[in-house]
Amino acid sequence: MALKAVKEVKRKEYYIFSPFLRIFHWIMVGSILILFVTGLLITKPMNVSTTEPFFTITSMDLVRDIHFVTAFIFTASLILRIYGFIINKGDRLFPRVWEGHFYEETVDVALHYMLIRPHHASFLRNPLARMSYAALYAMVAIEILTGFAMYFMTNPSGTGGILFGWVNLVLGGEMMTHYVHHYVAWFIILFAIGHMYMVVRAEFMEGESEVSSMFSGKKILAHTPKDANELD
Amino acid sequence: MEKRESLWEAYLKRGLSRRSFLKGCVALTSLMGLSTDMFSKVVEAAENKPLPVVVWIHGHECTGCDESFIRSASPLASDLVLNNIALEYDHLLSAACGAPFEAHLDETITKYNGQYILAVEGAVATKASGVHCMSGGHTFLHLLEKAAKGAAAIIAYGSCAAYGGIQAAAPNPTGSAGISHFVGGKPVVNVPGCPPIPEVMTGVVMHVALFGTIPPLDGDGRPKQFYGNRIHDTCYRRPFFDAGMFAETYDDAGSKAGWCLYKLGCRGPETYNSCGNLRWWQGMSYPIQSGAACIGCSNAHFWDEAPFSARLPQYGKIGDADKIGVGLGVLTAAGVGAHAVASIIQRNSRDNLLESEDEHKN
Repeated sequence: MALKAVKEVKRKEYYIFSPFLRIFHWIMVGSILILFVTGLLITKPMNVSTTEPFFTITSMDLVRDIHFVTAFIFTASLILRIYGFIINKGDRLFPRVWEGHFYEETVDVALHYMLIRPHHASFLRNPLARMSYAALYAMVAIEILTGFAMYFMTNPSGTGGILFGWVNLVLGGEMMTHYVHHYVAWFIILFAIGHMYMVVRAEFMEGESEVSSMFSGKKILAHTPKDANELD
Repeated sequence: MEKRESLWEAYLKRGLSRRSFLKGCVALTSLMGLSTDMFSKVVEAAENKPLPVVVWIHGHECTGCDESFIRSASPLASDLVLNNIALEYDHLLSAACGAPFEAHLDETITKYNGQYILAVEGAVATKASGVHCMSGGHTFLHLLEKAAKGAAAIIAYGSCAAYGGIQAAAPNPTGSAGISHFVGGKPVVNVPGCPPIPEVMTGVVMHVALFGTIPPLDGDGRPKQFYGNRIHDTCYRRPFFDAGMFAETYDDAGSKAGWCLYKLGCRGPETYNSCGNLRWWQGMSYPIQSGAACIGCSNAHFWDEAPFSARLPQYGKIGDADKIGVGLGVLTAAGVGAHAVASIIQRNSRDNLLESEDEHKN
Protein backbone atom coordinates (compact mmCIF):
# COMPACT_ATOMS: atom_id res chain seq x y z
CA MET A 1 0.00 0.00 0.00
CA ALA A 2 1.30 3.38 -1.02
CA LEU A 3 2.02 5.97 1.61
CA LYS A 4 -1.13 8.08 2.02
CA ALA A 5 0.86 11.15 2.89
CA VAL A 6 2.96 11.17 -0.25
CA LYS A 7 1.33 11.51 -3.61
CA GLU A 8 2.87 11.91 -7.00
CA VAL A 9 1.10 14.61 -8.95
CA LYS A 10 2.23 16.16 -12.20
CA ARG A 11 2.05 19.94 -12.08
CA LYS A 12 2.75 22.70 -14.49
CA GLU A 13 4.08 26.13 -13.54
CA TYR A 14 2.42 29.22 -15.01
CA TYR A 15 4.04 32.61 -14.52
CA ILE A 16 1.27 35.23 -14.50
CA PHE A 17 1.78 38.05 -12.01
CA SER A 18 4.55 40.53 -12.74
CA PRO A 19 6.52 41.95 -9.81
CA PHE A 20 4.78 45.29 -10.39
CA LEU A 21 1.38 43.75 -9.77
CA ARG A 22 2.64 41.91 -6.69
CA ILE A 23 4.26 44.99 -5.17
CA PHE A 24 1.11 46.95 -5.94
CA HIS A 25 -0.99 44.27 -4.29
CA TRP A 26 0.92 44.39 -1.02
CA ILE A 27 1.06 48.18 -0.99
CA MET A 28 -2.71 48.08 -1.43
CA VAL A 29 -3.13 45.66 1.48
CA GLY A 30 -1.11 47.86 3.80
CA SER A 31 -2.69 51.08 2.54
CA ILE A 32 -6.25 49.84 2.90
CA LEU A 33 -5.62 48.74 6.49
CA ILE A 34 -3.98 52.05 7.41
CA LEU A 35 -6.55 54.12 5.52
CA PHE A 36 -9.45 52.26 7.10
CA VAL A 37 -8.21 52.56 10.68
CA THR A 38 -7.16 56.21 10.36
CA GLY A 39 -10.39 56.96 8.49
CA LEU A 40 -12.49 55.62 11.35
CA LEU A 41 -10.38 57.65 13.79
CA ILE A 42 -10.95 60.80 11.73
CA THR A 43 -14.72 60.29 11.68
CA LYS A 44 -14.88 59.44 15.37
CA PRO A 45 -11.75 60.51 17.22
CA MET A 46 -11.09 58.09 20.07
CA ASN A 47 -10.81 59.41 23.59
CA VAL A 48 -7.96 58.57 25.87
CA SER A 49 -9.06 60.13 29.13
CA THR A 50 -12.04 58.88 31.06
CA THR A 51 -12.68 62.09 32.93
CA GLU A 52 -13.54 65.48 31.51
CA PRO A 53 -12.21 67.12 29.50
CA PHE A 54 -11.79 64.34 26.96
CA PHE A 55 -9.12 64.39 24.30
CA THR A 56 -7.82 61.96 21.71
CA ILE A 57 -4.93 59.50 21.86
CA THR A 58 -3.11 60.99 18.93
CA SER A 59 -3.52 64.42 17.50
CA MET A 60 -6.03 64.67 14.68
CA ASP A 61 -3.35 66.43 12.71
CA LEU A 62 -1.09 63.36 12.86
CA VAL A 63 -3.88 60.87 12.10
CA ARG A 64 -5.00 62.96 9.15
CA ASP A 65 -1.44 63.29 7.87
CA ILE A 66 -0.97 59.51 8.02
CA HIS A 67 -4.25 59.10 6.16
CA PHE A 68 -3.27 61.59 3.45
CA VAL A 69 0.27 60.30 2.95
CA THR A 70 -0.98 56.72 2.71
CA ALA A 71 -3.65 57.83 0.24
CA PHE A 72 -1.02 59.47 -1.97
CA ILE A 73 1.24 56.38 -1.83
CA PHE A 74 -1.67 54.09 -2.65
CA THR A 75 -2.82 56.25 -5.56
CA ALA A 76 0.71 56.47 -6.88
CA SER A 77 1.12 52.68 -6.63
CA LEU A 78 -1.66 52.30 -9.20
CA ILE A 79 1.02 53.37 -11.69
CA LEU A 80 2.85 50.08 -10.92
CA ARG A 81 -0.31 48.13 -11.60
CA ILE A 82 -0.89 49.83 -14.94
CA TYR A 83 2.77 49.49 -15.93
CA GLY A 84 2.62 45.76 -15.18
CA PHE A 85 -0.53 45.51 -17.26
CA ILE A 86 1.29 47.09 -20.20
CA ILE A 87 4.45 44.98 -20.09
CA ASN A 88 3.12 41.61 -18.92
CA LYS A 89 0.34 39.53 -20.47
CA GLY A 90 -0.36 37.84 -17.14
CA ASP A 91 -1.48 41.07 -15.49
CA ARG A 92 -5.04 41.89 -16.39
CA LEU A 93 -6.95 44.95 -15.21
CA PHE A 94 -10.53 43.92 -15.92
CA PRO A 95 -12.28 40.64 -16.76
CA ARG A 96 -13.02 39.95 -20.41
CA VAL A 97 -16.75 40.40 -20.08
CA TRP A 98 -17.15 40.79 -23.82
CA GLU A 99 -16.27 37.13 -24.40
CA GLY A 100 -19.32 34.86 -24.25
CA HIS A 101 -17.65 31.97 -22.42
CA PHE A 102 -16.89 34.32 -19.52
CA TYR A 103 -20.49 34.10 -18.30
CA GLU A 104 -20.79 30.29 -18.54
CA GLU A 105 -17.57 29.99 -16.59
CA THR A 106 -18.77 32.48 -13.99
CA VAL A 107 -21.93 30.42 -13.48
CA ASP A 108 -19.85 27.25 -13.24
CA VAL A 109 -17.67 28.76 -10.52
CA ALA A 110 -20.65 30.26 -8.72
CA LEU A 111 -22.42 26.88 -8.63
CA HIS A 112 -19.34 25.31 -7.10
CA TYR A 113 -19.11 28.07 -4.48
CA MET A 114 -22.77 27.46 -3.68
CA LEU A 115 -21.67 23.85 -2.95
CA ILE A 116 -23.91 22.55 -5.74
CA ARG A 117 -21.07 21.31 -7.97
CA PRO A 118 -18.12 19.39 -6.49
CA HIS A 119 -15.57 21.16 -8.76
CA HIS A 120 -15.24 24.08 -11.01
CA ALA A 121 -13.03 24.08 -14.07
CA SER A 122 -9.43 25.09 -13.47
CA PHE A 123 -8.56 28.70 -14.34
CA LEU A 124 -5.51 30.88 -14.23
CA ARG A 125 -7.94 33.71 -13.64
CA ASN A 126 -11.07 32.68 -11.84
CA PRO A 127 -13.86 34.64 -13.60
CA LEU A 128 -15.92 35.22 -10.45
CA ALA A 129 -12.87 36.44 -8.56
CA ARG A 130 -12.04 38.73 -11.46
CA MET A 131 -15.50 40.23 -11.25
CA SER A 132 -14.96 40.97 -7.58
CA TYR A 133 -11.62 42.65 -8.41
CA ALA A 134 -13.37 44.86 -10.96
CA ALA A 135 -15.83 45.81 -8.22
CA LEU A 136 -12.88 46.54 -5.91
CA TYR A 137 -11.26 48.78 -8.50
CA ALA A 138 -14.57 50.62 -8.93
CA MET A 139 -14.75 51.14 -5.15
CA VAL A 140 -11.12 52.27 -5.01
CA ALA A 141 -11.85 54.73 -7.82
CA ILE A 142 -14.78 56.14 -5.82
CA GLU A 143 -12.58 56.43 -2.73
CA ILE A 144 -9.85 58.24 -4.68
CA LEU A 145 -12.30 60.65 -6.32
CA THR A 146 -14.23 61.46 -3.14
CA GLY A 147 -11.06 61.53 -1.04
CA PHE A 148 -9.26 64.02 -3.22
CA ALA A 149 -12.48 66.01 -3.66
CA MET A 150 -12.47 66.60 0.10
CA TYR A 151 -8.71 66.94 0.44
CA PHE A 152 -8.13 69.54 -2.27
CA MET A 153 -11.11 71.73 -1.46
CA THR A 154 -9.11 73.61 1.14
CA ASN A 155 -8.25 75.65 -1.95
CA PRO A 156 -11.11 75.32 -4.44
CA SER A 157 -9.33 77.52 -7.00
CA GLY A 158 -6.17 75.39 -6.98
CA THR A 159 -5.32 72.69 -9.49
CA GLY A 160 -6.54 69.89 -7.23
CA GLY A 161 -9.75 71.74 -6.48
CA ILE A 162 -10.43 72.20 -10.18
CA LEU A 163 -9.59 68.55 -10.96
CA PHE A 164 -11.70 67.01 -8.19
CA GLY A 165 -14.08 69.74 -6.97
CA TRP A 166 -16.82 68.66 -9.38
CA VAL A 167 -17.28 65.44 -7.40
CA ASN A 168 -18.86 67.42 -4.55
CA LEU A 169 -21.29 69.08 -6.94
CA VAL A 170 -22.21 65.78 -8.63
CA LEU A 171 -22.92 64.16 -5.27
CA GLY A 172 -24.95 67.19 -4.16
CA GLY A 173 -22.76 68.59 -1.40
CA GLU A 174 -19.55 67.88 0.41
CA MET A 175 -21.28 66.16 3.35
CA MET A 176 -22.56 63.57 0.87
CA THR A 177 -18.96 63.11 -0.32
CA HIS A 178 -17.97 62.31 3.28
CA TYR A 179 -20.84 59.79 3.57
CA VAL A 180 -19.98 58.05 0.28
CA HIS A 181 -16.28 57.91 1.20
CA HIS A 182 -17.10 56.40 4.58
CA TYR A 183 -19.67 53.85 3.35
CA VAL A 184 -17.58 52.60 0.44
CA ALA A 185 -14.65 52.12 2.86
CA TRP A 186 -16.79 49.63 4.78
CA PHE A 187 -17.66 47.78 1.58
CA ILE A 188 -13.95 47.49 0.75
CA ILE A 189 -13.36 45.88 4.15
CA LEU A 190 -16.23 43.44 3.52
CA PHE A 191 -14.61 42.62 0.18
CA ALA A 192 -11.27 42.05 1.92
CA ILE A 193 -12.80 39.53 4.34
CA GLY A 194 -14.40 37.63 1.49
CA HIS A 195 -11.26 37.83 -0.66
CA MET A 196 -8.99 36.50 2.08
CA TYR A 197 -11.34 33.61 2.73
CA MET A 198 -11.74 32.68 -0.94
CA VAL A 199 -7.98 32.68 -1.53
CA VAL A 200 -7.25 30.50 1.49
CA ARG A 201 -10.17 28.27 0.57
CA ALA A 202 -8.84 27.79 -2.96
CA GLU A 203 -5.56 26.76 -1.39
CA PHE A 204 -7.03 24.09 0.87
CA MET A 205 -9.57 22.83 -1.67
CA GLU A 206 -7.24 22.49 -4.64
CA GLY A 207 -3.76 22.94 -3.19
CA GLU A 208 -2.79 24.94 -6.23
CA SER A 209 -0.57 27.72 -4.85
CA GLU A 210 -3.28 30.39 -4.80
CA VAL A 211 -1.74 32.11 -1.79
CA SER A 212 1.91 31.88 -2.81
CA SER A 213 1.18 33.15 -6.33
CA MET A 214 0.89 36.68 -4.95
CA PHE A 215 4.47 36.32 -3.66
CA SER A 216 6.11 34.28 -6.43
CA GLY A 217 3.96 35.35 -9.35
CA LYS A 218 3.52 31.68 -10.31
CA LYS A 219 0.58 29.35 -10.17
CA ILE A 220 1.48 25.66 -10.05
CA LEU A 221 -1.49 23.74 -11.34
CA ALA A 222 -2.23 20.01 -11.57
CA HIS A 223 -5.02 20.54 -14.08
CA THR A 224 -4.52 22.37 -17.34
CA PRO A 225 -6.43 25.64 -16.88
CA LYS A 226 -9.11 26.55 -19.43
CA ASP A 227 -7.51 29.91 -20.09
CA ALA A 228 -3.92 28.68 -20.41
CA ASN A 229 -3.76 29.92 -24.00
CA GLU A 230 -4.29 33.52 -22.84
CA LEU A 231 -0.70 33.73 -21.66
CA ASP A 232 0.78 33.30 -25.16
CA MET B 1 -35.85 108.89 -11.66
CA GLU B 2 -34.94 110.21 -15.08
CA LYS B 3 -31.20 110.79 -15.01
CA ARG B 4 -29.57 108.18 -12.82
CA GLU B 5 -26.82 109.69 -10.73
CA SER B 6 -23.51 108.09 -9.80
CA LEU B 7 -22.30 107.56 -6.26
CA TRP B 8 -20.02 110.62 -6.52
CA GLU B 9 -22.91 112.75 -7.71
CA ALA B 10 -25.00 111.49 -4.84
CA TYR B 11 -22.22 112.54 -2.45
CA LEU B 12 -21.96 115.99 -4.09
CA LYS B 13 -25.69 116.52 -3.87
CA ARG B 14 -25.55 115.90 -0.15
CA GLY B 15 -22.62 118.30 0.26
CA LEU B 16 -20.22 115.60 1.38
CA SER B 17 -16.48 116.06 0.93
CA ARG B 18 -14.23 114.27 -1.55
CA ARG B 19 -12.40 112.88 1.46
CA SER B 20 -15.50 111.16 2.81
CA PHE B 21 -16.25 109.86 -0.70
CA LEU B 22 -12.80 108.29 -0.90
CA LYS B 23 -13.20 106.85 2.58
CA GLY B 24 -16.48 105.35 1.46
CA CYS B 25 -14.73 103.82 -1.55
CA VAL B 26 -12.06 102.27 0.68
CA ALA B 27 -14.81 100.72 2.79
CA LEU B 28 -16.54 99.46 -0.36
CA THR B 29 -13.33 97.90 -1.69
CA SER B 30 -12.71 95.93 1.44
CA LEU B 31 -16.29 94.87 1.99
CA MET B 32 -16.44 93.52 -1.55
CA GLY B 33 -13.53 91.29 -0.62
CA LEU B 34 -11.20 92.99 -3.10
CA SER B 35 -7.53 93.73 -2.59
CA THR B 36 -6.52 97.35 -2.08
CA ASP B 37 -4.90 97.65 -5.51
CA MET B 38 -8.42 97.55 -6.92
CA PHE B 39 -9.14 100.80 -5.06
CA SER B 40 -8.60 103.10 -8.05
CA LYS B 41 -11.01 101.04 -10.12
CA VAL B 42 -13.62 101.28 -7.39
CA VAL B 43 -13.23 105.08 -7.29
CA GLU B 44 -13.49 105.28 -11.07
CA ALA B 45 -16.63 103.18 -11.10
CA ALA B 46 -18.18 105.15 -8.23
CA GLU B 47 -17.54 108.42 -10.09
CA ASN B 48 -18.95 107.39 -13.43
CA LYS B 49 -21.33 104.47 -13.08
CA PRO B 50 -24.94 105.51 -12.65
CA LEU B 51 -26.52 103.93 -9.58
CA PRO B 52 -27.84 100.56 -10.61
CA VAL B 53 -31.52 99.79 -10.69
CA VAL B 54 -32.37 96.83 -8.51
CA VAL B 55 -35.53 94.77 -8.63
CA TRP B 56 -35.83 92.55 -5.58
CA ILE B 57 -38.43 89.80 -5.62
CA HIS B 58 -39.44 87.26 -3.01
CA GLY B 59 -40.61 83.71 -3.58
CA HIS B 60 -41.09 80.61 -1.50
CA GLU B 61 -39.27 81.65 1.67
CA CYS B 62 -39.45 83.20 5.13
CA THR B 63 -37.86 86.63 4.31
CA GLY B 64 -35.20 85.85 6.88
CA CYS B 65 -32.62 86.94 4.32
CA ASP B 66 -34.09 90.46 4.49
CA GLU B 67 -33.86 90.36 8.25
CA SER B 68 -30.18 89.65 7.78
CA PHE B 69 -29.75 92.21 4.99
CA ILE B 70 -31.19 95.16 6.94
CA ARG B 71 -28.63 94.48 9.68
CA SER B 72 -25.68 95.06 7.40
CA ALA B 73 -23.29 97.47 9.08
CA SER B 74 -20.72 98.24 6.41
CA PRO B 75 -22.28 99.58 4.36
CA LEU B 76 -25.40 100.26 6.36
CA ALA B 77 -28.33 98.64 4.60
CA SER B 78 -30.13 102.00 4.71
CA ASP B 79 -27.18 103.67 2.93
CA LEU B 80 -27.17 100.97 0.31
CA VAL B 81 -30.90 101.08 -0.33
CA LEU B 82 -31.21 104.88 -0.25
CA ASN B 83 -27.86 106.02 -1.71
CA ASN B 84 -25.91 103.30 -3.45
CA ILE B 85 -28.54 101.53 -5.49
CA ALA B 86 -31.85 102.53 -6.97
CA LEU B 87 -34.15 99.97 -5.41
CA GLU B 88 -37.20 100.22 -7.63
CA TYR B 89 -39.18 97.25 -6.45
CA ASP B 90 -39.01 95.20 -3.29
CA HIS B 91 -41.87 93.19 -1.85
CA LEU B 92 -40.74 93.65 1.69
CA LEU B 93 -39.17 97.12 1.93
CA SER B 94 -41.61 99.06 -0.24
CA ALA B 95 -44.15 101.39 1.28
CA ALA B 96 -46.37 101.12 -1.80
CA CYS B 97 -48.64 98.16 -2.40
CA GLY B 98 -51.43 96.82 -4.58
CA ALA B 99 -52.06 97.44 -8.27
CA PRO B 100 -49.95 100.65 -8.59
CA PHE B 101 -47.00 98.82 -7.09
CA GLU B 102 -47.33 95.93 -9.53
CA ALA B 103 -47.71 98.41 -12.38
CA HIS B 104 -44.47 100.05 -11.26
CA LEU B 105 -42.69 96.72 -11.61
CA ASP B 106 -43.83 96.38 -15.23
CA GLU B 107 -42.77 99.97 -15.85
CA THR B 108 -39.31 99.39 -14.36
CA ILE B 109 -38.76 96.19 -16.27
CA THR B 110 -39.59 97.88 -19.60
CA LYS B 111 -37.77 101.12 -18.90
CA TYR B 112 -34.51 99.58 -17.74
CA ASN B 113 -34.66 96.51 -19.95
CA GLY B 114 -31.30 94.76 -19.96
CA GLN B 115 -29.87 97.07 -17.27
CA TYR B 116 -31.35 96.23 -13.92
CA ILE B 117 -30.05 93.80 -11.33
CA LEU B 118 -32.53 91.17 -10.30
CA ALA B 119 -32.20 90.00 -6.72
CA VAL B 120 -34.22 86.92 -5.90
CA GLU B 121 -35.00 85.55 -2.50
CA GLY B 122 -36.89 82.31 -2.08
CA ALA B 123 -37.33 79.12 -4.01
CA VAL B 124 -39.59 78.36 -6.94
CA ALA B 125 -42.52 76.09 -6.05
CA THR B 126 -42.87 73.83 -9.06
CA LYS B 127 -45.58 71.32 -8.09
CA ALA B 128 -49.26 71.90 -8.94
CA SER B 129 -48.31 74.50 -11.59
CA GLY B 130 -46.63 76.59 -8.90
CA VAL B 131 -49.76 77.52 -6.91
CA HIS B 132 -47.94 76.90 -3.64
CA CYS B 133 -46.32 80.31 -4.00
CA MET B 134 -48.37 83.17 -5.45
CA SER B 135 -47.34 86.77 -5.89
CA GLY B 136 -49.54 89.58 -7.20
CA GLY B 137 -52.18 87.14 -8.48
CA HIS B 138 -49.67 85.10 -10.46
CA THR B 139 -47.40 82.24 -9.57
CA PHE B 140 -43.97 83.24 -8.40
CA LEU B 141 -42.55 81.30 -11.35
CA HIS B 142 -44.42 83.67 -13.67
CA LEU B 143 -43.00 86.70 -11.86
CA LEU B 144 -39.49 85.26 -11.90
CA GLU B 145 -39.57 84.50 -15.62
CA LYS B 146 -40.95 87.95 -16.36
CA ALA B 147 -38.34 89.74 -14.27
CA ALA B 148 -35.42 87.55 -15.34
CA LYS B 149 -35.95 88.21 -19.04
CA GLY B 150 -34.56 91.75 -19.03
CA ALA B 151 -32.14 91.45 -16.11
CA ALA B 152 -28.48 92.34 -16.58
CA ALA B 153 -27.49 90.11 -13.68
CA ILE B 154 -29.32 87.82 -11.34
CA ILE B 155 -28.41 87.32 -7.69
CA ALA B 156 -29.92 84.39 -5.78
CA TYR B 157 -30.00 85.40 -2.13
CA GLY B 158 -30.24 82.64 0.42
CA SER B 159 -30.23 78.86 0.29
CA CYS B 160 -33.85 78.84 -0.96
CA ALA B 161 -33.12 80.78 -4.15
CA ALA B 162 -29.85 78.94 -4.63
CA TYR B 163 -30.85 75.35 -3.84
CA GLY B 164 -34.54 75.16 -2.87
CA GLY B 165 -34.14 75.70 0.85
CA ILE B 166 -35.70 74.02 3.85
CA GLN B 167 -39.06 73.61 2.09
CA ALA B 168 -37.24 71.39 -0.42
CA ALA B 169 -36.47 68.88 2.34
CA ALA B 170 -37.62 65.34 1.55
CA PRO B 171 -40.33 64.63 0.50
CA ASN B 172 -40.46 68.20 -0.88
CA PRO B 173 -44.27 68.51 -1.08
CA THR B 174 -44.21 71.80 -3.00
CA GLY B 175 -41.49 70.78 -5.45
CA SER B 176 -39.25 73.64 -4.31
CA ALA B 177 -36.16 74.24 -6.38
CA GLY B 178 -33.44 76.84 -6.81
CA ILE B 179 -34.03 79.56 -9.39
CA SER B 180 -31.15 78.72 -11.75
CA HIS B 181 -33.27 76.50 -14.04
CA PHE B 182 -36.03 79.09 -14.40
CA VAL B 183 -34.19 82.21 -15.54
CA GLY B 184 -33.73 81.34 -19.19
CA GLY B 185 -30.11 80.26 -18.94
CA LYS B 186 -28.83 83.56 -17.50
CA PRO B 187 -25.90 83.26 -15.13
CA VAL B 188 -26.96 83.36 -11.49
CA VAL B 189 -24.77 84.50 -8.62
CA ASN B 190 -25.55 82.11 -5.77
CA VAL B 191 -25.34 83.71 -2.35
CA PRO B 192 -26.43 80.77 -0.19
CA GLY B 193 -26.92 80.82 3.54
CA CYS B 194 -29.88 80.61 5.82
CA PRO B 195 -29.62 83.55 5.90
CA PRO B 196 -26.44 84.79 4.19
CA ILE B 197 -24.14 87.06 6.18
CA PRO B 198 -25.46 90.66 5.89
CA GLU B 199 -22.14 92.07 4.65
CA VAL B 200 -21.93 89.31 2.06
CA MET B 201 -25.37 90.27 0.74
CA THR B 202 -24.51 93.96 0.45
CA GLY B 203 -20.99 93.18 -0.81
CA VAL B 204 -22.25 91.10 -3.74
CA VAL B 205 -24.84 93.60 -4.89
CA MET B 206 -22.28 96.42 -4.60
CA HIS B 207 -19.81 94.47 -6.73
CA VAL B 208 -22.38 94.01 -9.48
CA ALA B 209 -23.49 97.61 -9.11
CA LEU B 210 -20.04 99.17 -9.29
CA PHE B 211 -18.29 97.02 -11.86
CA GLY B 212 -21.29 96.00 -13.89
CA THR B 213 -19.96 92.47 -13.91
CA ILE B 214 -20.67 89.52 -11.69
CA PRO B 215 -17.89 88.70 -9.20
CA PRO B 216 -15.58 85.71 -9.86
CA LEU B 217 -17.60 82.58 -9.16
CA ASP B 218 -16.68 79.05 -8.11
CA GLY B 219 -18.04 75.88 -9.72
CA ASP B 220 -21.29 76.24 -7.84
CA GLY B 221 -21.86 79.85 -8.90
CA ARG B 222 -20.86 81.32 -5.53
CA PRO B 223 -18.67 84.44 -5.29
CA LYS B 224 -15.16 83.22 -4.55
CA GLN B 225 -14.30 86.11 -2.24
CA PHE B 226 -16.99 85.05 0.25
CA TYR B 227 -17.37 81.30 -0.37
CA GLY B 228 -13.78 80.39 -1.22
CA ASN B 229 -12.98 78.84 2.14
CA ARG B 230 -14.46 76.27 4.39
CA ILE B 231 -15.58 77.50 7.79
CA HIS B 232 -13.39 74.71 9.19
CA ASP B 233 -10.30 76.12 7.48
CA THR B 234 -10.94 79.63 8.82
CA CYS B 235 -12.32 78.62 12.22
CA TYR B 236 -10.61 79.99 15.30
CA ARG B 237 -11.26 76.62 17.01
CA ARG B 238 -9.32 74.74 14.32
CA PRO B 239 -6.22 74.31 16.54
CA PHE B 240 -8.34 72.30 18.98
CA PHE B 241 -9.42 70.06 16.11
CA ASP B 242 -5.84 69.46 15.01
CA ALA B 243 -4.79 68.71 18.56
CA GLY B 244 -7.69 66.32 19.08
CA MET B 245 -9.40 68.34 21.80
CA PHE B 246 -13.16 67.98 21.43
CA ALA B 247 -16.34 68.80 23.24
CA GLU B 248 -18.30 65.58 23.74
CA THR B 249 -21.53 67.15 24.90
CA TYR B 250 -22.79 70.72 25.04
CA ASP B 251 -22.15 70.97 28.76
CA ASP B 252 -18.88 69.17 29.37
CA ALA B 253 -15.56 70.73 30.31
CA GLY B 254 -14.35 70.71 26.70
CA SER B 255 -17.39 72.65 25.60
CA LYS B 256 -16.92 75.18 28.38
CA ALA B 257 -13.26 75.57 27.45
CA GLY B 258 -14.26 76.38 23.87
CA TRP B 259 -12.85 73.26 22.26
CA CYS B 260 -13.70 71.95 18.79
CA LEU B 261 -17.34 70.97 18.15
CA TYR B 262 -16.51 68.39 15.47
CA LYS B 263 -17.81 65.45 17.48
CA LEU B 264 -21.07 67.27 18.05
CA GLY B 265 -21.69 67.12 14.31
CA CYS B 266 -20.21 70.48 13.33
CA ARG B 267 -20.54 70.98 9.55
CA GLY B 268 -17.67 73.44 9.39
CA PRO B 269 -15.48 70.96 7.47
CA GLU B 270 -18.05 70.82 4.64
CA THR B 271 -19.37 74.37 4.61
CA TYR B 272 -18.17 77.22 2.42
CA ASN B 273 -18.96 80.60 3.93
CA SER B 274 -17.38 83.64 5.52
CA CYS B 275 -18.58 82.93 9.06
CA GLY B 276 -15.04 82.15 10.17
CA ASN B 277 -13.49 85.41 8.94
CA LEU B 278 -16.24 88.03 8.44
CA ARG B 279 -18.45 86.65 11.23
CA TRP B 280 -21.85 88.16 12.06
CA TRP B 281 -23.01 91.46 13.52
CA GLN B 282 -19.92 93.47 12.64
CA GLY B 283 -17.61 90.59 13.35
CA MET B 284 -18.98 90.01 16.81
CA SER B 285 -19.58 86.26 16.68
CA TYR B 286 -20.82 83.30 14.67
CA PRO B 287 -22.53 80.03 15.60
CA ILE B 288 -19.35 78.10 16.45
CA GLN B 289 -18.02 80.99 18.52
CA SER B 290 -21.25 80.98 20.52
CA GLY B 291 -20.70 77.27 21.24
CA ALA B 292 -23.17 75.79 18.74
CA ALA B 293 -22.03 73.40 16.03
CA CYS B 294 -22.37 74.69 12.47
CA ILE B 295 -25.32 73.10 10.63
CA GLY B 296 -23.97 73.97 7.18
CA CYS B 297 -26.85 76.30 6.26
CA SER B 298 -25.14 77.50 3.08
CA ASN B 299 -24.83 73.96 1.69
CA ALA B 300 -27.13 72.45 -0.88
CA HIS B 301 -29.26 69.73 0.80
CA PHE B 302 -28.07 70.58 4.33
CA TRP B 303 -31.70 70.11 5.40
CA ASP B 304 -31.61 66.42 4.50
CA GLU B 305 -28.34 65.66 6.26
CA ALA B 306 -29.71 65.00 9.72
CA PRO B 307 -28.80 64.58 12.48
CA PHE B 308 -26.95 67.86 12.87
CA SER B 309 -25.50 66.54 16.13
CA ALA B 310 -23.47 63.65 14.65
CA ARG B 311 -21.00 63.04 11.85
CA LEU B 312 -22.89 60.08 10.39
CA PRO B 313 -26.60 59.51 9.67
CA GLN B 314 -28.46 57.35 12.19
CA TYR B 315 -30.68 54.52 11.03
CA GLY B 316 -33.22 54.23 13.83
CA LYS B 317 -32.36 51.76 16.55
CA ILE B 318 -29.68 50.05 14.45
CA GLY B 319 -27.31 52.97 14.72
CA ASP B 320 -24.95 54.58 12.25
CA ALA B 321 -22.85 53.23 9.38
CA ASP B 322 -20.02 52.16 11.69
CA LYS B 323 -22.30 49.94 13.78
CA ILE B 324 -23.89 48.50 10.65
CA GLY B 325 -20.42 47.98 9.18
CA VAL B 326 -19.23 46.05 12.23
CA GLY B 327 -22.44 43.99 12.11
CA LEU B 328 -21.97 43.20 8.43
CA GLY B 329 -18.32 42.35 9.06
CA VAL B 330 -19.26 39.87 11.79
CA LEU B 331 -21.98 38.40 9.57
CA THR B 332 -19.54 38.05 6.67
CA ALA B 333 -16.97 36.38 8.91
CA ALA B 334 -19.63 34.00 10.25
CA GLY B 335 -20.85 33.22 6.73
CA VAL B 336 -17.30 32.61 5.59
CA GLY B 337 -16.71 30.27 8.53
CA ALA B 338 -19.87 28.29 7.78
CA HIS B 339 -18.90 28.09 4.12
CA ALA B 340 -15.44 26.86 5.10
CA VAL B 341 -16.89 24.02 7.17
CA ALA B 342 -19.26 23.06 4.34
CA SER B 343 -16.39 23.20 1.85
CA ILE B 344 -14.23 20.86 3.95
CA ILE B 345 -17.09 18.37 4.17
CA GLN B 346 -17.58 18.64 0.42
CA ARG B 347 -13.89 18.13 -0.27
CA ASN B 348 -13.63 15.10 2.00
CA SER B 349 -16.62 13.41 0.41
CA ARG B 350 -15.17 14.22 -3.01
CA ASP B 351 -11.74 12.81 -2.09
CA ASN B 352 -13.27 9.67 -0.58
CA LEU B 353 -15.17 9.19 -3.80
CA LEU B 354 -12.00 9.55 -5.86
CA GLU B 355 -10.10 7.19 -3.56
CA SER B 356 -12.74 4.49 -3.68
CA GLU B 357 -12.71 4.82 -7.48
CA ASP B 358 -8.93 4.36 -7.42
CA GLU B 359 -9.23 1.28 -5.22
CA HIS B 360 -11.79 -0.25 -7.60
CA LYS B 361 -9.35 0.21 -10.47
CA ASN B 362 -6.57 -1.45 -8.52
